[in-house]
Order: sequence, then structure tokens, then C-alpha cells
Amino acid sequence: MPTEAPVLEVQDLSLRFKGAPANIVDGLSFAVRPGETLCIVGESGCGKSVTALSLMGLLPRGVARVMSGTATFAGQDLLALPERALADLRGDRISMIFQEPMTSLNPSYRIGDQISEIVLRHRPVSRVQARARALEMLERVKIPAASSRLDDYPHELSGGMRQRVMIAMALANDPVLLIADEPTTALDVTIQAQIIDLIEDLQKESGTALIMITHDLGVVAEIADRVCVMYAGRAVEEGPVAAIFDDPQHPYTIGLMSSVPSVGPRSGKLATIGGMVPAIDNMPSGCRFTPRCPFAGTGCETTPALVELGPSHRAACHYAPLESAFAEAAG
Amino acid sequence: MSLPTRDKIIETRAVTKRFGGRKSLFKPATSVSAVNGVSLTIKRGETFSIVGESGCGKSTLARLLVRLLTPSDGAVLYDGNDISALSEQEMRRLRKDLQFVFQDPFSSLNPRMTVGALIEEPMKVHTALTRTERRQKVAELLNKVGLRPAFANRYPHEFSGGQRQRIGIARALASGPKVIVGDEPVSALDVSVQAQVINLLEDLKSEFDLTLILIAHDLAVIRHMSDRVAVMYLGEIVELAPNDALFDKPLHPYTQALMRAIPIASPHGRSMKAALLGDVPSPLDPPSGCRFHPRCPHATDLCSREKPTPANVADDRTVACHHWEKIADDAQPPVQEPPRSNNAEKRFALFRTRSQQKEPTTAARP
Repeated sequence: MPTEAPVLEVQDLSLRFKGAPANIVDGLSFAVRPGETLCIVGESGCGKSVTALSLMGLLPRGVARVMSGTATFAGQDLLALPERALADLRGDRISMIFQEPMTSLNPSYRIGDQISEIVLRHRPVSRVQARARALEMLERVKIPAASSRLDDYPHELSGGMRQRVMIAMALANDPVLLIADEPTTALDVTIQAQIIDLIEDLQKESGTALIMITHDLGVVAEIADRVCVMYAGRAVEEGPVAAIFDDPQHPYTIGLMSSVPSVGPRSGKLATIGGMVPAIDNMPSGCRFTPRCPFAGTGCETTPALVELGPSHRAACHYAPLESAFAEAAG
Repeated sequence: MSLPTRDKIIETRAVTKRFGGRKSLFKPATSVSAVNGVSLTIKRGETFSIVGESGCGKSTLARLLVRLLTPSDGAVLYDGNDISALSEQEMRRLRKDLQFVFQDPFSSLNPRMTVGALIEEPMKVHTALTRTERRQKVAELLNKVGLRPAFANRYPHEFSGGQRQRIGIARALASGPKVIVGDEPVSALDVSVQAQVINLLEDLKSEFDLTLILIAHDLAVIRHMSDRVAVMYLGEIVELAPNDALFDKPLHPYTQALMRAIPIASPHGRSMKAALLGDVPSPLDPPSGCRFHPRCPHATDLCSREKPTPANVADDRTVACHHWEKIADDAQPPVQEPPRSNNAEKRFALFRTRSQQKEPTTAARP
């Protein structure tokens, strides 16, 4: 485990949509170190994407509000920076890759120009130099015949190629932190494998810290160093990837893992988590997983804190570790 | 194939679907063969899956199987009768037997109809039930799919994705079908809800004696649910095999690559390697010979010249590759998840036991 100072340290982040009675992200803390990959896992509505947007200062003004918390990046609090300073950071020191490459590229500009633009915005270079950098980046993301692709429009590229262009843009200024929000969800499996290989290789080369937001446990197992499992706006468990998979502690993590079908031989029916994610106007008090949790009991009406259960492995459950609390059923 | 007719429920003979082809002043006619000469047999009562990447023609094939699309060439047989040339009116009678569950539960339900009306509609068309009987059946079906009968008076927008998919399934069941086609029925759902719907489909299948045709891109879902699997690439079936045989030893190089690309949900199994370079070629201008040859690591001259015909390689198993025998030996070991740790297994078991004790609170809390 790297022990260097974190690139980004988020503490007690809470976000709320205008008019909502509860926080969409509630008291979230995590850190990511240089060269490290942190995966934030969770299902729709758990607040993982909103978190990313808030760090980038991309939450629509007047719609969502930061209620509390700090996000320390290079000595500055991202959540308190003025728009101008954020604009200088974005695409330079911090970059983001989105899920849908078609809607995040401008359809009416050539891809070479879109990559050059991001270099020109942050670097004192000429147009020619910026274009050379764009070409270099297209080659680094392994786009075949890169020089002839510079003048293509996004619609002329396949989904996988577009995502490569997005990655080229994101890395053009050698950021120290890359945030990727479901970057392979819209892609086919064979293309997904290509893109994940590419992200891993580039990260190794550049030492960029990576925050990967995903719902796919397979992708997490493949790429993560550390994992943060989110449920209904809160981190319910976090730790090194091996600990999360080998020693899952929170009932939600356990339920999530046992409801994913395996590619190995079938072993009976899938386990399921009953019910569904609570709506924001109907958040249970205390532990938000209570209504769906097969282990819920007395005490769950108070919010559990993240408790250390192993080396840098923490879970927020009153009953963890479960086998000691529910010994009778374990045999 | 030597199956007795009564065991076959659907059969296709070299079925082809072409789209487009309108000639314009400036361009010659171009058409895409989304499905190209596919022959297969679906057995009564099985779960038959079609897998492939976007644009491989799997959804088109599924629609051809139940005549939601009319084939350009070839024939589709249902219960031994050719249905490819039936009129709309004749088809309408068959629709009772052949139902469809769509991928997107947000766009496949009419937002202006109540849930009750949506589920009742197929009964109005296909059955002679009275109004009261229909209402009763609606309540029954809602119960079956794990929703409260009182939901019949609500509108689709009041429900979550998983619940809407349940409504779609109840509607598909309403006419008393024999075959249900699910076109990516769980891919728009979150993992925990996906598992609920997968279990529901399996329960209903055995309860109602259904034949299930499943279109999916998620190989884990396919492995979990299917009896037999057809792998499609660019409009053609490259391999068709019983589920376990396919996953234990994929024979076609494309199937092998697909399997290698699955991310395994275990950090100790990090092995995923992009086995395939490049993208799927445009179906407007498919490669000559074997359509997979430009991306195939084993391709030879022969592959670019001659199209391989599906060879019977074992019981109930075909593969369309010139070199399958040669490459069978250096096929990678079967896709497997490394065993979980004791701690994980123990807690998974505990979770199952506790969940079962807590039933029946599953599924449908509003």
C-alpha cells in the first residue's frame, strides 16, 4: 500500500438536492493516493455520480447544494474554490471520463481539434504544437492510423474508439487525478476489455490516481486497489480490494455479491436483496439499509459509524462481523 | 436434426432479414443483412439464449422467431407450421402463444394506461373471459410477479425499473403464452433487482410450462439461466451448444474471445485480457468468407475465401469454423471463478438463510 499523501482527500461530504428532505450523499469520506485506483461501487441512485460531479464543480447551480464537507486536492478545498480556479484545474490537473462517449464529445468538431483545444486552454503552446500533442495522445490510446483520424468527426468512430478519444482528451495534460464514471458500461464486453486494459496501462505509465465509478463487481475486481461500497448516499464499507471480496462485512456488500450470477457452473438460485433502494423522500432514519436488511434488529435505527474490522478495512454495520452476532444460523 | 416434431416448438430454415435497400439518385441500393441464413431449432420447454455484441443481429433474430419481423428469405416454423407468410390476421391468433418482454421497462409500457388495463388488454384480445374474470386474473398475475393487486389502479410512472419489468412480464403472461422472448429483460436493472427478476422468470417458466428465448449480452446471466446457447457474430450463428459444454470448452475463436473478455468478480482471477483487437466490421460490407476472419487470431487464406458451414461436432453442438479441430487443443481453460474465501462463503450462506427467514417481505414493497 502506498503511504504517500493522498492526491485527493474527501471528508464528511454531504450533498442535497433542492427541496429534498434528505441528503443524496451523506457524510462520505474517502481518499485516493498517487497511482492508486479507488473504485466507488453502488447501484443507481446511491450518489456515486453526484459525488464525482461535485468534486469537479459540475453540479448544476441551484439544483444541488454542498451541505458540508471538504475535498482537499493539492492543499486546496475543491468545494470552496471559485469557478475560475476550478476551470483552471479541470482538464488539466483533474480530468473526467463519462459513460456515454457520444454525448460527451462535441459532434460538430473534429476530434483532433477537440483534443488540441484542451491543450491550448491549459498550456502555453502554439496550435501546431497542440495538434502534435493531439496526435501523440491518439497514438497513446492506440487508435489505428491516428494521423488520418485526427480530422474525423465523432460520428465516424465506433463506440470503443470514441471512448479512446475521451481518454486521450482526459490525459492530454497529464492530470494527477482521473475520475472515470462508468467508462465501459455502454460498451460491448470485448471492447470493454480493451478499454480497461488501456486505462490500466496508461495509469501505470503516468502514475495518475484513478477514481473509477462503476456498478460492475467484475470491473472492480479487475482494476481496483481500494473499494468504497456506497448505499443510499453513504459509504457502507471500504477497504483493499482483496478484503472486500474475501472478507465482505456489510450485509449490503454480501447481498450484492451473492446476487451476481457467476460465469462458473450454476450453483442454485441467486440470492436476492428484497425490496428496492429507498426514495430520497422516504429515507429510513438510522442505517439506510435497514428495510432491506435480513440482519436488521435493535440498534439499526441509529446510524452506524464506519468501524475498523481489518487492516484499513471498515464497515458501517452494528452487527459486523455477522457470524459472531448470528452464530446460531452459521452452522 | 432428428428431433420429433412435437419436441420442436420453433424452427428456422436459413432465415434472413435484410433492411434498407432503397435506391436513390446518387447511391446504388445498399442493404444490411442483419440476420443471414440462420437455421436453428428451439425445443419445447427449454431456455434458449442468443448472445452476441451490439449489432450482431440477436434482437432481429428474436423478432423473426415470433414474427414481429417478416423474414426476407427462409422460413420460420412454429409447431411445425410455416408462419413466415401468414397474414396479419392469422398471426394475431398466434400472438396469444408468442409473447415478448422488452429491454426497456420505461418505454415499453403505455404511460396513459393503468397497470391493470395494461395487463388486461391481451386478455381482451385473446380470451373470452368476462370483465370480472379478467379483473380477477389481473390480480392473480400481479401476485404471481410479486406485486400487490392494489397496484392495478396505478400508472407505470409510479414504479421503479424492476417493478415495471415485473409489469411487463405480467402483461406477457396474460394471454397464456407458450413462448416468451425476453430481449435483454434484465440488462437495464440494477444488480440486486436483476437477481429478483431472473429468479422470477425462472419460477414462472416452470410454473407455466414456458419455452423461454433469452437475448442477452451478459454472459454470466446466460450461464445462469440457459439450457442451450447460440453465439452470434455479424448476423450469423458461429457456435451453438448446450450451456455447460459451451462454457467448459468454447470451440469457435469468437466464443473463446468473448469468454476471455468477461471480467471475473474476484480479485484473484485477474486475467481479463483483451483477446480481440479492433471493432466489429460494418454489416453493410461484411468481410468475405468467414465474417470473423479479420479479427481472428487463427485466420488463414481459406478463411477469407470460403465461408465455413456449421459442423456437427458433438451431440447437439455445431460450430462454424474451418479450423475448430486444430484450435480446440490450445483453447484456454474453462472460464471459472476462483473459489471464494471461507469468510465470504460463510457470510453468503448466512445472508441466504436470514433472507429466507425474513420472507415474504421480498419483491414488492412500494
